[in-house]
Amino acid sequence: MGRYAIRRLLQLIPVVLGTTFLINYMVWQLPGDPFAGRCGQRPCPDSYVSAMRAQFGLDQPMLVQYGHFLKNMLTGDLGVDFNQVPVIDQLGAAWPITIRLALLAVAIEAVIGIGAGVLSGLKRGGFLDNLVTISTLFLLSLPVFVTGYLLQWLLGVQLHIINPTVSDEATVSELIVPAFVLASINMAFTARLTRTSIVENLRSDYVRTAVAKGLTNRRVVGIHLLRNSLVPVLTFLGTEIGSLMSGAIITEGIFNIHGIGGMLYRAITGQDYTIVVPVATLLVLVYLISNLLVDLLYGVLDPRIRYE
Amino acid sequence: MRVTKGAKIATGTALLALGVAACGGGSGGSGGGGDNPRAANGTVYIRGCEPQTGFVPGNINETCGGTINDFVYSKLVKYNTDTAAPELDEAASIDTTDNTVWTIKLKPGLKWTDGTPVTAKNYVDAWNYTAYSPNAQIGSFWFGDIKGFDKVNTADPDGPDGPKQAPKPETDKMSGLEVVDDLTFKVTLNAPVAVFRTKLGYSTFAPLPDAFFKDPKGFASNPVTNGPFKFVKWDHNSQIVVAANADYAGAEKPKVKQIVYKMYKDDDAAYADLVSNNLDFTELIPPSALAGDKWKSDLGDRAIEGQQGTIQTVTFPLYDKEFGGNADFRKAISMAIDRKTITDKIFNKGRVPIDSWVSPIVEGYKAGSCGELCTYDPAKAKEYLAKAKAAGYTPPKEFPIWYNGDSAHKEWVDATANSINQALGSDAGFTVVGKAMPTFAEFRDTITQHKIKGMFRTGWQMDYPHIEDFLNPLYKTGASSNDGLYSNKALDEKLHEADTSTDPAQAIAHYQEAEAMLAQDLPAIPLWSYGLQAGTSKWVTGVKVTPFGELDPLSIAIKEA
Repeated sequence: MGRYAIRRLLQLIPVVLGTTFLINYMVWQLPGDPFAGRCGQRPCPDSYVSAMRAQFGLDQPMLVQYGHFLKNMLTGDLGVDFNQVPVIDQLGAAWPITIRLALLAVAIEAVIGIGAGVLSGLKRGGFLDNLVTISTLFLLSLPVFVTGYLLQWLLGVQLHIINPTVSDEATVSELIVPAFVLASINMAFTARLTRTSIVENLRSDYVRTAVAKGLTNRRVVGIHLLRNSLVPVLTFLGTEIGSLMSGAIITEGIFNIHGIGGMLYRAITGQDYTIVVPVATLLVLVYLISNLLVDLLYGVLDPRIRYE
Repeated sequence: MRVTKGAKIATGTALLALGVAACGGGSGGSGGGGDNPRAANGTVYIRGCEPQTGFVPGNINETCGGTINDFVYSKLVKYNTDTAAPELDEAASIDTTDNTVWTIKLKPGLKWTDGTPVTAKNYVDAWNYTAYSPNAQIGSFWFGDIKGFDKVNTADPDGPDGPKQAPKPETDKMSGLEVVDDLTFKVTLNAPVAVFRTKLGYSTFAPLPDAFFKDPKGFASNPVTNGPFKFVKWDHNSQIVVAANADYAGAEKPKVKQIVYKMYKDDDAAYADLVSNNLDFTELIPPSALAGDKWKSDLGDRAIEGQQGTIQTVTFPLYDKEFGGNADFRKAISMAIDRKTITDKIFNKGRVPIDSWVSPIVEGYKAGSCGELCTYDPAKAKEYLAKAKAAGYTPPKEFPIWYNGDSAHKEWVDATANSINQALGSDAGFTVVGKAMPTFAEFRDTITQHKIKGMFRTGWQMDYPHIEDFLNPLYKTGASSNDGLYSNKALDEKLHEADTSTDPAQAIAHYQEAEAMLAQDLPAIPLWSYGLQAGTSKWVTGVKVTPFGELDPLSIAIKEA
């Protein structure tokens, strides 16, 4: 398993190189001059445009710029963005918040989603099962911004239970409601996925054998049934971490959380590649590493899966 | 760790449980009146956004940075919050006999926040620095009127795209600026400029202290200033804090101790905070709250309504044979737009239809310069269209109105297109459609390269409250924001006559005559003027909003008890 992990980690290198090259290339191909929109309805003075282009190397060929980018990335010097603010400071401020929010959302998804899925799967056709089915259907049909604005209005503006927006510190307790909003749709997915998997495995041979051996119900469900049923759910949750980090733009906007999603959005609309490229690169790394972790966890959950 | 007995979680109750759990973390909502939480430390919170550039007034050209810079820098002139009239601020007098040579005297005893006095040299140095092209300041062109500007600011012979570089300027000092003594300086212009005094309130004309020139880069994020407020700290993408400047010499002093310029990505989030009194001021009420005047019932007497000096127009690419049309065609389009219905339905009367090319709140505004050409009249519009076709212009089958898709323009552009199509009827031979470009940068780039195929939205936010600001930069041949490449010799001459008039009233009369000339060709169609919708929390009082749509930082005060 150790060798497998190392091999997978080494595979990261060409993938990161390839994706960063593609991201750089695509940012370059975007139509429009990033400095054309910075002076509003007036055109920017030529001297300003020339100086900015020179500072950010926009007057050099793409490959040279990519070389610069790699060098800077390796030395950890990300320079400044178009607003002349150090990129590393901005990343340093936004990443911890985003990671907190995403992990909290995944935790909520896992606890509520798996819990509800297991309960409804075990009592198939019962009251609880119907309740879960209906409430997940309800959650699935609500877009994130509806859930977000609704909870903000209800808990924040009307009931004063929470502040409508999150403070700059973005403590865990403040992030609970946004994380719940962020997790809402996927929580419903997780519950349904778990339920299907449980229902399917309940009828499988090894569960029948375990029951026949006279094992307690707790052991049958907790050890035999749950471990096998969680494999597809885990795959889903693993890929979720990355998309929860990059895809939190709407939730971050509603609750004014200063995380990665909003930063990326602002940078893309302003064509500020100094932010877009490092953030996208880091997101690629998050995707790759969380996928690796999921693959390794398969082996723990299902002994039949072995890694050489 | 102990596993509790009732570990089952039902999804139905999870929501409530989460809400209660979050309660412990919040800093406590309002418990129903009582003490004013703002009174304890005198701090108010207002909506802000991340400035594109730092605290160097000559390098700012956007509202996020402009607003907070206006809090910390005083200029020679400031604009009256109620009337928009220019008034002396740091200047004791601004004298001229011919509008060409201006003698400016500063009030004595003005101080920078580092204790050094504000001198005439600070103004001259700052203006020279901004104008000097190797410093690459965004506001450099503002000094184009001053004698010797062409010696300090050289143009790139083939533009920024070409391989050639701009030659190094001969000198870094404009010959038209002369320090007479500590508190007096003289400005000589290339030609008379009637509105020069009014222009002096624009942020680019702010002075800079000696400390700036030692370290311009560091200064931008930690400035020494001369305004009613001084810089405290800037947490990027989250907040800027400014505090009342104890040494501020102005007659009206700040009424709060600190202002926190809190950055919001989303107007709805700011509004939610405002309604629940976590935010004390926002000048951007989101469309969702404007709908059906919901914001007025939400805010009651905390709602502020007004006007601001911004207008919306639609411009034609006159350089393009296909989409430029002819004057009659443009008149047909203008008369086919039902401005009143659109402003009523789409903007909930938050914008006001205009029949002139100038914002109603500025000096020199005259109603009706566009007259019936800017009034909805489908029958007349059809007549003009027939005339346009008779003169040999065939509009293309699909005529786009372009806009940038990254802000809220889709609704009104589509409504305008529909209005035109309905008014001109199905036999018009063409249909108008709204088309978006993804970003403002791409949109402006296409326009300034003169490659746009169709009408396009143009908005103009005044730099200073004067009719001149709505004409010279937009319709003079070769002007910086003349996006449609409109050119009219008679208009140019009239504008020149107005610019060089020595009598201000005479100048305004000439500008008005020039504006009236626009009705012949209609190079741009006036649509509406922006209203102002702002709101405050229940903790503050006396709040006023400037004609620029910004908070007047001296007006805001914390309510007693």
